[in-house]
Amino acid sequence: MQSTNLIQIENLVKRYQNLVALDHLSLNIQEGEIFGLLGPNGSGKTTAINCLLALLKYDKGTITIFGKNMTPNSYDIKKQIGVVMQNVAVFEQMSVRENIDYFCGLYVRDKAARQQLVEDAIAFTGLEDFTKMRPKKLSGGLLRRLNIACGIVHKPRLIIMDEPTVAVDPQSRNKILEGIVKLNQQGSTIIYTSHYMEEVEQICTRIAIIDHGRVLAAGTTEELKKMIKTGETITIEAVTLDAPLLAQIRTLPHVFDISYESQILKIRLGTAKHNLIRVLNYLQEKDVSFGRVFSELPTLNDVFLEITGKELRD
Amino acid sequence: MTVYRGFLAITRRNIHMMILYLIIFLSIAVSVQKAAGGNKSEFEQVSLNIAVIDQDGGELARGLADYLSQYHTLVDLPDDPSIIQDRIFYREVYYVVTIPEDFEKRCLHGDEMLPITKVPGSSSGFYVDQQINTFMNDVRIMESSGFPLSDAVDSVIMHSASKAEVTLIDKNGFGGDQPLHAFMFQYMPYILLSILCYSMSYIMIAFRNQDVKRRMLCSAVPARSQNLQIVLGYATVGLFVYGICTLIPFLMYGKTFINDPNLFYYLLNSFLMTLVALSLSFLIGTLVNSEDVVSAVVNVVSLGMSFLCGVFVDLEILGKGVRTFAKFLPAYWYEIANNLLANNSSPSPAQQISLYTCYGLQLLFAAAILGVALVISRIRQTA
Repeated sequence: MQSTNLIQIENLVKRYQNLVALDHLSLNIQEGEIFGLLGPNGSGKTTAINCLLALLKYDKGTITIFGKNMTPNSYDIKKQIGVVMQNVAVFEQMSVRENIDYFCGLYVRDKAARQQLVEDAIAFTGLEDFTKMRPKKLSGGLLRRLNIACGIVHKPRLIIMDEPTVAVDPQSRNKILEGIVKLNQQGSTIIYTSHYMEEVEQICTRIAIIDHGRVLAAGTTEELKKMIKTGETITIEAVTLDAPLLAQIRTLPHVFDISYESQILKIRLGTAKHNLIRVLNYLQEKDVSFGRVFSELPTLNDVFLEITGKELRD
Repeated sequence: MTVYRGFLAITRRNIHMMILYLIIFLSIAVSVQKAAGGNKSEFEQVSLNIAVIDQDGGELARGLADYLSQYHTLVDLPDDPSIIQDRIFYREVYYVVTIPEDFEKRCLHGDEMLPITKVPGSSSGFYVDQQINTFMNDVRIMESSGFPLSDAVDSVIMHSASKAEVTLIDKNGFGGDQPLHAFMFQYMPYILLSILCYSMSYIMIAFRNQDVKRRMLCSAVPARSQNLQIVLGYATVGLFVYGICTLIPFLMYGKTFINDPNLFYYLLNSFLMTLVALSLSFLIGTLVNSEDVVSAVVNVVSLGMSFLCGVFVDLEILGKGVRTFAKFLPAYWYEIANNLLANNSSPSPAQQISLYTCYGLQLLFAAAILGVALVISRIRQTA
């Protein structure tokens, strides 16, 4: 079955004087996806979202949502979009319920329908016990949940979440991530931006890695991992390793990169069977004493590292 | 109308502050009007126990004693300094004048002062001093005009007994006094500025929050509609506060206020001041980013303008420099119009021109302040 393109971004360019924030960015997002936009701070994620929502004018390119051109006056499109911004965007003077009702009212006029939607959003975000409280009185995690409730209360077809878990404790973060998956299961397409690769890996069905305003790679997690040479990363605590020995390790089958720093040996190998056993046997043969040993499958950070030559959180 | 409803919901959060300012307003207005606008026409002359010790016994001395007896009660006292001191100490007598021998020669034609004993530093003593001086001067004038001494003394005593009727010209239908509701309208700029600037600035800051604004721009309600709803919110709150402020004089003064021929002009004047206060609140809300600063700024603006423009202190009392500066403030023109209405029941054509000039200037101030606020807001948006 062929999926429909819910969002189509083509050759988007946005410049701030000499700084190119978006450099011919192109993306296709299909209905029913949780699409992750992964990139370090300043990579252009938020700029892309702002252009997508017509909050920012762009210099070149086209944005199509639900098959229609997105402009600041595309209220029929906006009606079907929910937005959860990076910063908590609520009124301090209103209670939790009033805030959710207010933002729902910007989409839904019918009072009875709105009341039901507000109740649903409160239940969905687990804010039942805090409905009368003002945002000032809420903890960081609850405040983020309120922010999400205000964004999703009208049950939109498309939800755009711009780093909704920034500065959130792990427990609240897990709840938020579970909620996002649930929203997706209820039929919403989700665009999720983050610089936390674990989150993106955990919930996103497809991911685009962006840096310097360009899409470096896009696909499912598996597809992205297959794009790189790294099949396994072995980390070994070893007290003394001299240069000739390191050179010999480099020549072992499937090894393509090694580093030794602060008594930690890191070996990157291509996809092959028995990589770990082969390395450990070799160290035993050479009578090298070693401590703890870890073997990891490639992560999105490895993908980012291989594509850009730098860590995702640099 | 979600934005409009939200606007009113946030306004309700500040209702306690509005009530507080209303109470302050009412307290000031009522207490000051009682102090300043009370029964000005009632006057009671003070009569003291005084003693005249006549060592001269002449015609002039008797005349002075008769003259003083018209105003005060004369008490008999022996010419003994210790008894005089004693009586004055116990306030049995407040003033003792000793008329020396050759009184006419020494005091009327000479430079000698009358020996007196009185309660030190008392205003009553000063009061009798003035009466003695008046008597002596009047006799001196009569005598130098050719009257013999006896006729001069009789004439002064006779004329001092006559009373003059004073009637205030009733230009406003309130017997020449300012009507009590005029005092209330005099203080109205303070309450309008305080309540509207305070509450509206808070709401403006809430709606100007960049994140909230972005979320609202992403919504299905067009930006133009959102702005119109905010303007409607402004108008509603402005009219509500104006309604409350103008209702108070109706409740307090009832028919007196309703029958005032200037009723419509009072209401129009305060309505224009409401517009000024609204545009000023929009400017403050545009300039100030923090809720903590709003209170301080509003106090400076409302109190500053009130003191400079004759809201708390009558314009006549203010210095020339202050009045010149106040002309650049809208509340000054409000007060000029209010004074005009308070003192004239049917303004002359020239006064009407002044009245309409005051109204026009207030309107211009409101428009200018709003214009500045809109320009600043636009500059900030594009920055």
